[in-house]
Amino acid sequence: MKKIYGLLSAIALLMVLVLAGCSDSGGEGKGSDDGKSAEKVTKEGKDVVVAVASNFTGLDPHDTNDTLSNSAEKTMMEGLLGFDKDMKIIPLLAKEYSANDEATEFTFKLRENIKFHDGTPFNAEAVKVNFDRLADPNSGLKRHSLFAIIEKTEVVNDYEVKFTLSEPFGAMINTFAHPAALIISPKALEEHGKEIARNPVGTGPFKFVEWKPGEGLEIVKNEEYWQEGFPKVDSITFKPVTENGSRIAMLQTGEADFIYPVPTEQVEGIDGKDGIEIESKPSIVVRYMAMNTLKEPFDDKKVRQALNYAVNKDAFIKVVMNDQSSKLDSVIAPDVQYYAQQELYKFDVEKAKELLKEAGVKEGLKANLWGANNSSAIKAMEFLQQQLAQVGIEVEVFPMEAGTLSDKIWSVQEAKDADIELYYGGWSPSTGDADWGIRPLVGGEDAFPPNAYNVSYYNNPKVNQLILDGLQTADDAARAKAYEEAQGIIWEDAPWVFLTAENTIAGKKNYLKGIYLLPDGSLSVSELEIVE
Amino acid sequence: MVELKLTKKEAYMQQSMENIKSNTPFSEFWRKFKKQKLAFVSFFFILFLIALAIVGPFIVPYDIAEPDYNNVLTGPTAEHWAGTDAYGRDIFSRIVAGTQISLYVGLTSVFLGALGGTFFGLIAGYYGKKVDAIIMRGCDVLLAFPGILLAIGIIAILGPGLGNVIIAVAIFSVPVFARIVRSSTLAVKSTLYVEATKSIGAVPRRIIWKHIFPGTLSSIIVYFTMRIGSAILTAASLSFLGLGAQPPSPEWGAMLSGGRDYLNIAPHVTIFPGLAIFITVLAFNLLGDGLRDALDPKIKD
Amino acid sequence: MFRFIIKRILEIIPILFLVSIFIFMFVHMIPGDPARLVAGVDATLADVELVREELGLDKPIVEQYFTYMKNLVQGDLGKSLKTGRAVSEEIGARFMPTFWLTVWSMAWAVIIGLLIGVVSATKRNKWQDYFGMFGAVSGLSLPSFWLGLMLIQLFAVKLGWLPTGGMETWKSFILPAFTLGTGVAAVVARFTRSSLMDVLKEDYIRTGRSKGLSERKVTWGHGLRNAMIPVVTMTGLQFGFLLGGSVVIETVFSWPGLGKLLIDSVAYRDYPVIQAEMLIFALEFIVINLIVDLLYGILNPQIRYE
Repeated sequence: MKKIYGLLSAIALLMVLVLAGCSDSGGEGKGSDDGKSAEKVTKEGKDVVVAVASNFTGLDPHDTNDTLSNSAEKTMMEGLLGFDKDMKIIPLLAKEYSANDEATEFTFKLRENIKFHDGTPFNAEAVKVNFDRLADPNSGLKRHSLFAIIEKTEVVNDYEVKFTLSEPFGAMINTFAHPAALIISPKALEEHGKEIARNPVGTGPFKFVEWKPGEGLEIVKNEEYWQEGFPKVDSITFKPVTENGSRIAMLQTGEADFIYPVPTEQVEGIDGKDGIEIESKPSIVVRYMAMNTLKEPFDDKKVRQALNYAVNKDAFIKVVMNDQSSKLDSVIAPDVQYYAQQELYKFDVEKAKELLKEAGVKEGLKANLWGANNSSAIKAMEFLQQQLAQVGIEVEVFPMEAGTLSDKIWSVQEAKDADIELYYGGWSPSTGDADWGIRPLVGGEDAFPPNAYNVSYYNNPKVNQLILDGLQTADDAARAKAYEEAQGIIWEDAPWVFLTAENTIAGKKNYLKGIYLLPDGSLSVSELEIVE
Repeated sequence: MVELKLTKKEAYMQQSMENIKSNTPFSEFWRKFKKQKLAFVSFFFILFLIALAIVGPFIVPYDIAEPDYNNVLTGPTAEHWAGTDAYGRDIFSRIVAGTQISLYVGLTSVFLGALGGTFFGLIAGYYGKKVDAIIMRGCDVLLAFPGILLAIGIIAILGPGLGNVIIAVAIFSVPVFARIVRSSTLAVKSTLYVEATKSIGAVPRRIIWKHIFPGTLSSIIVYFTMRIGSAILTAASLSFLGLGAQPPSPEWGAMLSGGRDYLNIAPHVTIFPGLAIFITVLAFNLLGDGLRDALDPKIKD
Repeated sequence: MFRFIIKRILEIIPILFLVSIFIFMFVHMIPGDPARLVAGVDATLADVELVREELGLDKPIVEQYFTYMKNLVQGDLGKSLKTGRAVSEEIGARFMPTFWLTVWSMAWAVIIGLLIGVVSATKRNKWQDYFGMFGAVSGLSLPSFWLGLMLIQLFAVKLGWLPTGGMETWKSFILPAFTLGTGVAAVVARFTRSSLMDVLKEDYIRTGRSKGLSERKVTWGHGLRNAMIPVVTMTGLQFGFLLGGSVVIETVFSWPGLGKLLIDSVAYRDYPVIQAEMLIFALEFIVINLIVDLLYGILNPQIRYE
């Protein structure tokens, strides 16, 4: 008997230790709060470590399509144009640009006396080499499609270059500012070919040193950078750290100076402690639940609107997003060009029930909800399940691993055969333009899977026409008008339950300045400095 | 509280056993098993868990699926003994209701795996030569499959859901059991009494079932109990990778990994399901040890 | 004995051949389109088709298989669909981190596991036994990702003694090797205990005792040697598992090993990398099993190789 008591008390002891260990870590964090947040932490040297959530897929901007790799490429290479903090277009390697009214010809005047890291001068010829590479249909580059529209690139003189498009494309300026249009040294391109993905050479503030997949990427200061006084740090090391908890621990211990993303759940726990500052800013990422508009009962606008009324977005933001997000009030986020605010579907269970009744939907309707299998998507779907239960819709949640999910979505050949009913998804229009926020998602038949991402199979001829109008001119006012009207119709038709515009969240030590996330989720380090 | 009840019960059992006083194999086993105090306690704890698995969903104080957004992530209180989760659901109720699921996953998957593995292990060990080579190389191929890939493959092909998690874990167990049983079979086969039985001309099926299988049983039981625990943990790892039970199922592993994002602000969300897993696995292991000693005919006291 | 080894080594070739077919089929059976995944979500259909062609995925599956086998025979594992790097290069960079982590985890786990097992078996039903087995069971009952995250909280964040992850100094090995080894130590301890207890009751041990051999000599000399068979099997299996790389531990500690490479490759359906990794695991397993089988013979001369 004694032994049993001994053992049971050992178990009890272990439990106490575990509990104490946990509450302690929380407790001490809070206790030391007052001391630590007032005290500014400092750093020796000028070498910065940035922990990111996944691996880079490559460092060739023309052949990568993830925001993370783009962020790394932007430290070493620059484009003719770029985006500032608020996704406004700014000139970089180009001094100025102009376009004809039909949006078919674009001319750039280039900055002079800039050299690539390998000493090659930057000029119109270098630009031509890059865009010829991108526009070549046989290149096999992942970003070719963005530039397939370029018919020819001409060198006007050493510092002036002219692009001619095969058809009008009003959103082209945004494409030039896209990270896919970064300029690589023509000499390096010739030397390395496709291997440029591991030997990037550009004009940027940092030079490539080493990239070990799985371990990290190291870059050092470009001493001859054309922008006087920059960069202000000696080196940056990017480390891939997948697990959220581990990434945060690195920031707490100072093994990393900057981390992103920070999961919304952790913000409250670490902000203001150990010299950590959390920066949470609106992004252009939208979150929505798409409904298959070809399937009963979601083919009825009333049902789709009812679902919009049935979901409590305030609670969604509180529970799922931990207040790090704002309500989505159009099909695109406020920082996207030509965004037009719509009137929210207010949370109203009674109204939702009424609309469902009008549409003849009976209590106990069953529906399947598909989505990704990461913890935040699962959390969101479980929340939606709870919300729709209030109006008598029984949702079954299917979290799916990335490959399976994409197969389910894109292996569809006939729109009417699509199995998809409800889908929880997100979208970030990487060009920052309304066109890329609307056309691939709700742009009619042309965007049905497998062509693009229109998983709600929404097809409104009026919207399709307006999208086309928006592309056929470079005139700002005309484009704005077309997109405003389109957004109004889409909102009314409600192919989605409009949920939130997400925040980008990064954590940094308070001695860092000038490092920030753009609304598209990419990182900017060109103004990074360490302050006392 | 729990321990007190159990010891009382145990005293009662002891008394009643003394009254019976018989010499059947079962009573012999029972007499030995009773001596394994820890296993005895575990045995009743597992009975308690099974009872909980049956009645749990009906006796929980709160609705396990009903959210309360005004009451999220509160620590343990008088109303919510184990606190509430990210949706304000009562964690204690969810753990109680989840007993069913976790036990079901653990027991079924290991049972299926043990069944297949024992069959192949006995045949391989007994017949040797080509049969052995084929079966064991087959096991190598299966074992060389990283469990996670196998799980992803199976779940991708069959779709997400608990049933497919069970199949994945079971398939992964087959070669492990086969190897363990085979090595015990080899050892038993080389002992004298099997050689003797063979020489008097017993048929293979009889030799395997009557003489070899009992000899391998202790290994099977020890591994069976260990495996139940690891099956529950594997289900948790699958949840960690987003391949586990579908929401809103209160499977312990899913609760545990779902709470990991809150580890530094609301540790109770992971600690209580973690303890539930911990104690359950502990009980199965201790029971296994006890059963092993009691079942082994060679143990004399 | 020597002939047995040669025979087994020759057996490896057809097995690997069968394994490669099996792996190829299994990997291609998993739903998911690498061209789509590599091209990314905002790729147009034209992009996807371009990528498909570029990667050679537009060819019929049988042709893809023959290309794969032809290259394999020549020792070419192909190129990663995701990064375009040679697969041998991808895997080469990840093998050593996993190998060393495995070695260190196994080293401490086997030593501690054996000690606990022997002490428990000889001090059966005494406090040493309960204590040892309780420790072993605890090691088995903790979900490793949870243990890892807790250890990081304690030793890296609170105490600042050890790094949180990565593989820079010897210090970075401590936490992952501890987390990874816990389960192994527990398994070794339990198997040693149960097996040694079996053996200690055998006739020849009693004979040894009655002949006046010291208890220590009986346990460590005769007993342990004979008790080792199941333990060696189990340890071999564990070694094989660990060499495959632990997806969970490598994720928690951001370890640049094979487990993490595998999960990343699966996410992209990076067929050449998955296939190559699995072939290597298969080879490792076959070799380990061969060694285990040979050890059987050394430990118990009664087992004959036929």
